[in-house]
Amino acid sequence: MKNMRELWASPFFGIAVSIVAFWLGTKLQARLKSVLCNPLLIAILLIVGLLSLLNIPYESYNAGGAIINMFLAPATACLAVSIYSKIEILKENWLPIVVGCTVGSVTSMGSVYLLCRLFRLDEAMTASLIPKSITTPIAVEVSGSHGGIVPVTVIAVIFTGILGSILAPFLIRLFRVKDPVAAGLSIGACSHAIGTSRALQIGETEGAMSGLAIGVCGIITVIASMIFMK
Amino acid sequence: MKIIKQFGIIFAICWLGAVVEHLLPFAFPASVIAMLLLLICLLTGLLKVEHIREKSDFLLGNMAFFFIPAGVNVINYLDILKTSWLPLLVICTITTVITFAVTAFSIRLTMRLLKRK
Repeated sequence: MKNMRELWASPFFGIAVSIVAFWLGTKLQARLKSVLCNPLLIAILLIVGLLSLLNIPYESYNAGGAIINMFLAPATACLAVSIYSKIEILKENWLPIVVGCTVGSVTSMGSVYLLCRLFRLDEAMTASLIPKSITTPIAVEVSGSHGGIVPVTVIAVIFTGILGSILAPFLIRLFRVKDPVAAGLSIGACSHAIGTSRALQIGETEGAMSGLAIGVCGIITVIASMIFMK
Repeated sequence: MKIIKQFGIIFAICWLGAVVEHLLPFAFPASVIAMLLLLICLLTGLLKVEHIREKSDFLLGNMAFFFIPAGVNVINYLDILKTSWLPLLVICTITTVITFAVTAFSIRLTMRLLKRK
C-alpha cells in the first residue's frame, strides 16, 4: 500500500476537502439562517479539525490550498468591477464617500493600534489586527507586508464582519444615523463584505454604499498603512 | 473559449499588477494595483464589463471560498490564539463600534457643510 502521507500531499486532496467543507458551510448557513454560521468560518473549523484528527500536516493540505490561494489576486482585481458598477453613485456622492472612508479607515487602524498597545500585544499581533476592518484580500496584503500573521488577520476580519452585520441595525439606532448614505458607508467601513450583505437587507442605497466603501476603504487603508506602518 | 479568454484577461492584468509593483519605488500590493488597472481599463472603455462578466461573477460570488487555505493556516498559530483570543475579541468589538460611530459622524458633518454652501 502506498504511504498515506503521499496521498494527503496530492493537490486534489486539499482542493476537494476545501470544496466539501465550504459546501457544508453554505448548507449549514442556509439551514440555520444565522449570520454566525459564516460558511468560510465553518469550512476553516472543519478542515482544521480534520487535519488535527487525522494528523495530516498543513503542508500536505496546502499542496491544493496554494492553488486555491492563487485565485485571491484575481478576485481582488475583480473588486474593480463592483466599484465600476456603482460609478454613478460614486460620482454623485464622492465627497461624503471619500471623507467617510478616509476617516473610517484611519479611525479603525488608529483605535486598533491604541488598544493593542493597551493590551500589550506584540508587533506581529498588532500588524495582524490593524487591517481587520477591510475586505480580506486587501487586509491579507496589508498584514503580510507589515509583519503580521496572515491567518490571524483572516480570523479577525471574519469576526469583525460577523460582528458588524449583527450590530448594524442596533448601531444605526444608537447613533441616530437617519441618512441611508451615511448608514451604508459606515457599515461598509467597519465590516466590509459580511456587513454589506446585511446592509443590502436594510435597503438598496445602504447596500450600494456599503459595497462601495469596501473598495474605497481598502485602497485608503493600503495608502495609510504605507504612511503610518513603516 | 469565452471563459478561457476572460481568465486570460484577468490573469494578464494581475501579472501587469506584479510588474508595476516591481517598478514602483515603494511597496504597494500587486493585487490592489491590478484592481486599479482594471478600474482604469473599464473607465476608459478599453475593456467592457461584458468582456469579463462571467469570470468576475465567478470570482466575486465565491470570494469567501478562496480564503479557506489562508484561514486554515491558523492551525500553525493555535498557541498564539490560545494566549490572546480574549484581547483579540475585545479589540475587534470595541473598534468596530468606534469605527461605525466616527464614520457616520464624519459623513453627517460633511453633508451638513455641503448643504450650507
